[in-house]
Amino acid sequence: MSAAGKGTLSSTGNRAELLALLKQELGKNGSLSKTVLTSLADKTGLPLNEIYGVSTFYAYLPVAAAGKNIIRVCGCLPCDLKDAQGVIGSIKKELGIEPGQTTADARFSLEQVGCIGACDQAPAMMINDTVYGNLTPAKIAEILKSFK
Amino acid sequence: MANVRLSIDGKSIKVRDGTTILEAAEACGITIPTFCHIKGLLPTGVCRVCVVEVKGSKTLMGACHTPVAEGMIVSTHTPRVVAARKVIVELMLTGHTGDCVNDTNAENCVLHNLASDYQVGAPRFNVKAPRFYPAEESNPYVRRDLSKCVLCRKCVKACHEIARKDVLSVGYRGFKSKVVTGFDEALNTEACRDCGICIEHCPTGAMSAAPGFKARKGGAVR
Repeated sequence: MSAAGKGTLSSTGNRAELLALLKQELGKNGSLSKTVLTSLADKTGLPLNEIYGVSTFYAYLPVAAAGKNIIRVCGCLPCDLKDAQGVIGSIKKELGIEPGQTTADARFSLEQVGCIGACDQAPAMMINDTVYGNLTPAKIAEILKSFK
Repeated sequence: MANVRLSIDGKSIKVRDGTTILEAAEACGITIPTFCHIKGLLPTGVCRVCVVEVKGSKTLMGACHTPVAEGMIVSTHTPRVVAARKVIVELMLTGHTGDCVNDTNAENCVLHNLASDYQVGAPRFNVKAPRFYPAEESNPYVRRDLSKCVLCRKCVKACHEIARKDVLSVGYRGFKSKVVTGFDEALNTEACRDCGICIEHCPTGAMSAAPGFKARKGGAVR
């Protein structure tokens, strides 16, 4: 048997449960800090870089210090065609942050993510676990106000 | 284990079941270019330079990770294959933002040699923001210049499978993908010592011996 098909590249430690554990830690701590990931590395026997790599791959596993409310604006094609950039522009104006940043009062983090599965309501965004669809730049201020 | 008969570039060959197309081609003296593959280690198939045409398959297949099958008819250098390889090399060059013009070691860059073999010139693709990372010189053994990195994952594989250190992983996604250490920190001595296996396997010079380390001669103190 040659090298083909002999397990995965990173088969050390308990990789199968990593995503579930990360989700659990996220629920407990709100974001995945270095301390959280380091303790997870000890627990699973996986190297920290591997856990960091997995966490940064997923938009829903915020590694950087995240704000209290995380705004995820869909940046995929249907939303983009329906002016997702206008929506992002309106959020930027409202909060004064770029995608990938958190407001100074740590109330909001803004992220542009891949499809959130709400193409029928394009352009759409999520704030925490709630989906907001059929957005227009004008609607943003009011939605954000409800989180203040 | 059963044997499989297949044909590569018109040559009929019998190999053991489970052999990859690349290994079978090597066995009958046919060279298929590779880039991300390390002989003897698990294939990742990320670079696609080794693609070949398999009769009956709609798409080109990666030779380094496709196992042979009975009656397979493989062509390794058809115009379609060569055209695909050219674009693949061009795409990799697009993400390779090193100072290769001034680099005295550029002839060691596997990517540049591939570009020269396949007559690929300056990439024609526009890049929104070039992948640029400041060179890391904090490690006395390894100098990392991630701008030159084309994410072939050879260092990740070598560190995991040969050195068994697991210091390197791929983090982020898409254009932002990057080889990370720890919590995306500098490759410090705590995490990585002088094994140098990643340096040996890096095809682009993104990981190289630190200048001081290279100059050291004379061996250990007796």
